[in-house]
Amino acid sequence: MAAGLSIILGLLGVVNFTHGTLFIWGGYVSIWVFGLSGNFFIALLAAIAAGILMGLIFERLFVRPVYGNVTAQILITLGLMTIFTDMVRLLWGPNPIPANRPDFIDGTWIWGSVIISQYRIFLIVIGVLVAIGINFLINRTRVGMIMRAGTQSPDMVQAMGINIKVYFSGVFAGGAALAALGGALYVPLVGSVWSGMGINNQILAFIVVILGGMGSFYGSAVGSIIIGLTVAMVSWFYPPLTVYSTVILLILVLSLKPEGLFGTAVRR
Amino acid sequence: MAALTNIISKNLTVKPVQALLLFLLLVILLIIPMISGMTTITLFSRIFILAIFGMSYDILRGFTGIINLGHALFFGGATYIAGILFNRVGPTLDVLLLAIITAFVLSAIIAYIMGQFAFRGTGFSGVIACAMITLAFGEIVRHTAETLRDYTQGADGLTFRIPEMFQDRFMMYYYALIFLIVMTIVLRQFVRSPTGRVLQAIRDNEQRARFLGYDTKKYKLIALVVAGMASASAGIMFALLTRFANTELLTVQSTLNALLYTIVGGTGTLYGAIIGTGFVQIAQNSLLELRGIHEIFSRWLIFFGAIYVLVVLYMPKGIIGAFYQLHASWQKRKKHG
Amino acid sequence: MKPLLELKNISTFIGPFHILQGVSLEVYPGEAVVILGRNGAGKTTTLRSIVGLQPAASGQITLDGVNLLGLPPYQAVRTGIGYVPEDYGIFDFLSVEENLLIAMWIEDKDTLARRDSVLDLFPALKDSYKRPASTLSGGQRQMLSIARALVNENKIILIDEPSKGLAPIIVEKVRDALLKFKNKSTIILVEQNFDMACSVGDRFYIINEGRTELNGPIQELYDDQELQRKYLGVVNA
Repeated sequence: MAAGLSIILGLLGVVNFTHGTLFIWGGYVSIWVFGLSGNFFIALLAAIAAGILMGLIFERLFVRPVYGNVTAQILITLGLMTIFTDMVRLLWGPNPIPANRPDFIDGTWIWGSVIISQYRIFLIVIGVLVAIGINFLINRTRVGMIMRAGTQSPDMVQAMGINIKVYFSGVFAGGAALAALGGALYVPLVGSVWSGMGINNQILAFIVVILGGMGSFYGSAVGSIIIGLTVAMVSWFYPPLTVYSTVILLILVLSLKPEGLFGTAVRR
Repeated sequence: MAALTNIISKNLTVKPVQALLLFLLLVILLIIPMISGMTTITLFSRIFILAIFGMSYDILRGFTGIINLGHALFFGGATYIAGILFNRVGPTLDVLLLAIITAFVLSAIIAYIMGQFAFRGTGFSGVIACAMITLAFGEIVRHTAETLRDYTQGADGLTFRIPEMFQDRFMMYYYALIFLIVMTIVLRQFVRSPTGRVLQAIRDNEQRARFLGYDTKKYKLIALVVAGMASASAGIMFALLTRFANTELLTVQSTLNALLYTIVGGTGTLYGAIIGTGFVQIAQNSLLELRGIHEIFSRWLIFFGAIYVLVVLYMPKGIIGAFYQLHASWQKRKKHG
Repeated sequence: MKPLLELKNISTFIGPFHILQGVSLEVYPGEAVVILGRNGAGKTTTLRSIVGLQPAASGQITLDGVNLLGLPPYQAVRTGIGYVPEDYGIFDFLSVEENLLIAMWIEDKDTLARRDSVLDLFPALKDSYKRPASTLSGGQRQMLSIARALVNENKIILIDEPSKGLAPIIVEKVRDALLKFKNKSTIILVEQNFDMACSVGDRFYIINEGRTELNGPIQELYDDQELQRKYLGVVNA
């Protein structure tokens, strides 16, 4: 999810608050489709499809008019967040819905005293795959080349004979799809989905992105590791402080280095 | 009456026509509770109080150009302070005074600390950093309120008794109205003061303001402290009106409410917040009454979000802005015709 | 002969400002036209209006019979325009190679061959071919930007102030490069540097306060000191 946010924030310079919403939509859609089809991978694909669809709609109708206007972006995406979060309550009800892990990765492995759930391993594998895929896309393909050029000067990319808007939509939809995939993968991990899940994860993802530096995938990865370790450590020593620790970390990093730890300083 | 409009017009530096309209409006507002039911009275009291919350946001968004996503903490925090003190010490006027002082001092301190962190960056990443840090502060306070169950009753919400003087709904209406008028004048003086003008310079072009020799961070801090305290005062009044506080008041949603009031009415106008609050609250009430017709009308938030997006996209200057535009084109036509 | 590029009475606004208030010019195949004028006269805006980056509100722009007015930049460019902006428009996050590749919307044999011949024109680029473009010097950026405009089979090349901000010795090099491909293509050159303008250009247009006011063979301008003083602020050229 953070990866998706980082793409949109870093490459498009768009502050996107709909990601938490896309995250829960991914979760709900995957559970719904999982229930219908019984196939976990079809459920994941459905979540991705939902993410792409919503991302395209958001970008076309609402975000496109406000490229370059950060304040309006914050306001509009907050508005969309409100609508679509409440839509979830309308469609699936306000109460948490339980989610089952697919059978084939529901077990645990035990090595001596260490117990590892297979699902966590599965998540790590997917995470690594996604990271490699994005990295390849950005650095090795023509699409990635255009995206990198577009971060610097969308106008100049147009002057190269390229319709940058199509790429912007694509990037936005791609980011949205990642958020939805994140939601679909997260839900079986915690065992249920509820509508309030979005905002918490939104904040966490923003923290990861900002910590790592906007638009830097390497940064995002390091950011999520730092967050993961901090949360793990604090919850080990003094659980009630867990929520505060991440937020305080964010405040510290932002106030010391507003562009993030690995920020390439988005120029706009 | 002419003398009275004259006085109003002189003291508030408005044109006599406007003063007359203002006076009529005041008379109408004074009469309303005598001719309408309890629901309307409460609705209007609510609007008066929330309008201050909205105006306090306008100081930030409209006059200084700051997006504060944790603004609800001042409002909800003050409601909680009042509620907790009334419960723990007792529902007396002395305690109310204590609550006001505590809320003011705490808001000022928190606003100061919040600003110290939030106003470090400038430009593109600065705006995002500010939004995120204020959001984080808001979430910290909300989370604290949820955790300190002994004091706040957690998610169940806190009910409390209030001083006798404020228990009468009818009188409460007038207190709220007076409160609105006083705060409007205070905030109006503030935005018209030299400090207020610097804030508007920062909103228009922060870099230029800095080049002119203004310590822009200091001025933004002042704006945040003033807005924080104004919203805390609204929070206390809200406590007196509803006699209830829950963590909803502290959520991002609550901040978004204040933002919506200002952008619907028109940012940077102060009065816009009053109009916006009235519009949004009345719209919300009427929609809820349609609940019987279709279930979707009970999903206020969907409409809320829709208004939000539409206003930002198509009416960025709000109702007041649209009015001025109409007025201007009408005058133009008159001139040409 | 029919003009290759024709602008008729172009009017362009930037925000509330009426920058171009009637620019008309004709460029014939194979010639190099220089646009001159004082700072802020609207020279850069003229080029940006042709490309569509600063869309013209009214008037007529045709390239080889194709209407350009109202086309988004990416379509306008594809009708056969190479654009070399004032600040070079080099993508820092891309390598030198990628900066050329991004301009090539068709990667066929001809284009690749053209790229190689363009690189022969600018040997300095060959040396840093795989390096990030952010490491290039100002002169090299200018070369890269020109090279990028040449990799496609363009009908016309628009070059905005190639001498600006460069050391005199580099300006020499840029001029040599321009002279080398001048007879192979049609060029519009916006230039403040009078020497450069005279050595590269065949014909001139003067833009003053958003209007094209004068045009003629460059020799005419070169000989007429009064004209130079009036429009260009050139004192003893």
